Amino acid sequence: MTDFERDYERFIRAEISRRRLLRRGAAGALSVSALSYLAACGSETGGGGGDSDPKGQQAIKKGKVGDSLYFANWPLYIEEDRGTLKEFEKEYGAKVKYIEEVNDNTEFFGKVRQQYERGDSGGRDIHVVTDWMAARMLRLGYVQKLDKAELPNVTANLIERLKSPPFDPKREFSVPWQSGFTGIVYRKDKVKREPKSVDDLFDPAYKGKVTMLTEMRDTVGVVAASMGFDPEKATTDEFMQAIEKIDEGAKSGQIRSFTGNEFTKDLPKGDSWLIIGWSGDSVQLQADNPNIRFVAPETGVHLWTDNMQVPVGAPEAFTAQKMMDFVYQPEVQADIAEYVNYICPCNGVKEILTERDPALGNNQLIFPDEETLSGAFIFRDLKPEEDQELTEAFQKVIGA
Amino acid sequence: MPARLKKAGLPYLLLAPGLGWLVIFFAIPMAYMLFESLKTGTIDTGFLFTWEFSNYPNAISDFSEQFVRSFEYAGIAAVAAVLIGYPLAYVIAFRGGRWRNALLLAVIAPFFVTYLIRTLSWESILSDSGFVVSTLKTIGLVADDGRVLDTTGAVVAGITYNFLPFMILPLYASLERIDPRLLEAGYDLYGRRRDVFLRVTLPLSMPGLVAGTLLFFIPAAGDFINAELLGTPNQFMIGNVIQSRFLEVTDYPTAAALSFILMAIMLVLVIIWARIAGTEALLGTEGEER
Repeated sequence: MTDFERDYERFIRAEISRRRLLRRGAAGALSVSALSYLAACGSETGGGGGDSDPKGQQAIKKGKVGDSLYFANWPLYIEEDRGTLKEFEKEYGAKVKYIEEVNDNTEFFGKVRQQYERGDSGGRDIHVVTDWMAARMLRLGYVQKLDKAELPNVTANLIERLKSPPFDPKREFSVPWQSGFTGIVYRKDKVKREPKSVDDLFDPAYKGKVTMLTEMRDTVGVVAASMGFDPEKATTDEFMQAIEKIDEGAKSGQIRSFTGNEFTKDLPKGDSWLIIGWSGDSVQLQADNPNIRFVAPETGVHLWTDNMQVPVGAPEAFTAQKMMDFVYQPEVQADIAEYVNYICPCNGVKEILTERDPALGNNQLIFPDEETLSGAFIFRDLKPEEDQELTEAFQKVIGA
Repeated sequence: MPARLKKAGLPYLLLAPGLGWLVIFFAIPMAYMLFESLKTGTIDTGFLFTWEFSNYPNAISDFSEQFVRSFEYAGIAAVAAVLIGYPLAYVIAFRGGRWRNALLLAVIAPFFVTYLIRTLSWESILSDSGFVVSTLKTIGLVADDGRVLDTTGAVVAGITYNFLPFMILPLYASLERIDPRLLEAGYDLYGRRRDVFLRVTLPLSMPGLVAGTLLFFIPAAGDFINAELLGTPNQFMIGNVIQSRFLEVTDYPTAAALSFILMAIMLVLVIIWARIAGTEALLGTEGEER
């Protein structure tokens, strides 16, 4: 395969892989922008789809398993043959409609907002969104409270670190699907020495060879941590200082650009050497190019989670809980983890995968040890005004 | 008299699909967007219609840099496209001979590949470790620590390349329509090549030139893909801002206001251009009138 072909393959993969940045697909972006715009603009009044106080709401009632289940997830976020879903169908007799319709948190929000606002889930029983969006969904009352009694496997197997995220301390409204790290990815053959912290990204020797992510929490969190702030409780001012630092880097040309999944293309090509990127993609990249390494910055690596939630008005809320619990059986989860290479949220999978493929089972990025996990920070839950302020400031830095 | 009535109604009937299209896909969305641009709020609290006219001045002052840049880049690219496109269209029209269709096809051929993929190819070709950059470094056109990708030059070149056919095709159409006898007449009157070109060919090709620049300039000024893929945030244009306001910041009122401002500026520029070049040229009727 020529370099050119390889680039294309990478592009296509980047294009459809889980963390795809929407603006990559120009045509898609345009049509989606119109759609989400129309969808999002329809509603005039403020939040509160079903219940004004989501925290006080009743848990999902016991019922019986329905005939079908609508599962909205990110692309390439389950094993290719979708064996997990087939097993679920066999066990519960509910046909799973698995739609890969979440390409981008904000875009998905724009698409469902109007429906959720009316208390209509659009037929969805489970959606998967990242922490901060899961928090927003919860804040707006767009999701249902889970009945923990129906989730024994989750209770038993969910890894410790993910048990009480700031936005949902008791995991009453969300169950992790997969997690990942945001840290430094670099080309071993291009850098002078192994980078240890984000400060290395500001080393003038790498001017124009540094990229960062367009996801605000990923980039700002990691940079803020490197400045001695704790992203789990930092003030907006502190985050703003981090944004200013990033701004200086962008203006001076130190930071070449801000990317979504495209870093999977720029790194192998050599257009970037030292970047802020995601762990799962790095595992995949490293398989093709052993010079590509992921390192957790000493000052703190960002731990994010994509969460399953049951939207208000979900026709099969009870069945949805069955699915959430089903994937927390280690044998089931092992199939998913083997394919997606992100952090596995379920205990007991490591042993199974180590047997199948020791390289995967011993990979710190898929099964990080307790120390790594407790050292990782989870970006704190921002208030809507804070979110707006930081997002706007950050978007200006990254060019718009 | 039903027959006559029918006849009278016929033009309207024929206009109906076009008018309907305009109303549904242009007028209604425009009105809707105008309405959105006057709202306040955030995605969390919802958007309320408050006649918020300040969205407009705010949008201009916040993003004047990107506005200026958009028109600057599109302007430079348009000039470059005329310099490349005019000679090309001229040669195809007058010297193309039996190769005419093949040459035209060659002009359109890149369009068979989607715009996004073409731009991405440039991203690969101009890559720091690619052969283009290393060649340029060898001949000294690019400094040793320099790069081509992610620079202003790359963005402007990308825009020029991507929209070039929009310039060439109308130019070709108007050049091709010129009666060669008019040129012969020019030479018969002892006109030098330069005079014949400036006094006969160029004026007669004005409709094509005007149409070409408009077709080129309008999408170029609103483009965001070239800046996104071939540039950095320091090259971002107004299209990137609108894109990000809609999809990333979800600040719909500002995004809508920006779109309207872009449209208004474009309209003003088109009017000015039409005044300079003459409306006949704009409508492509000049040739027939004379």
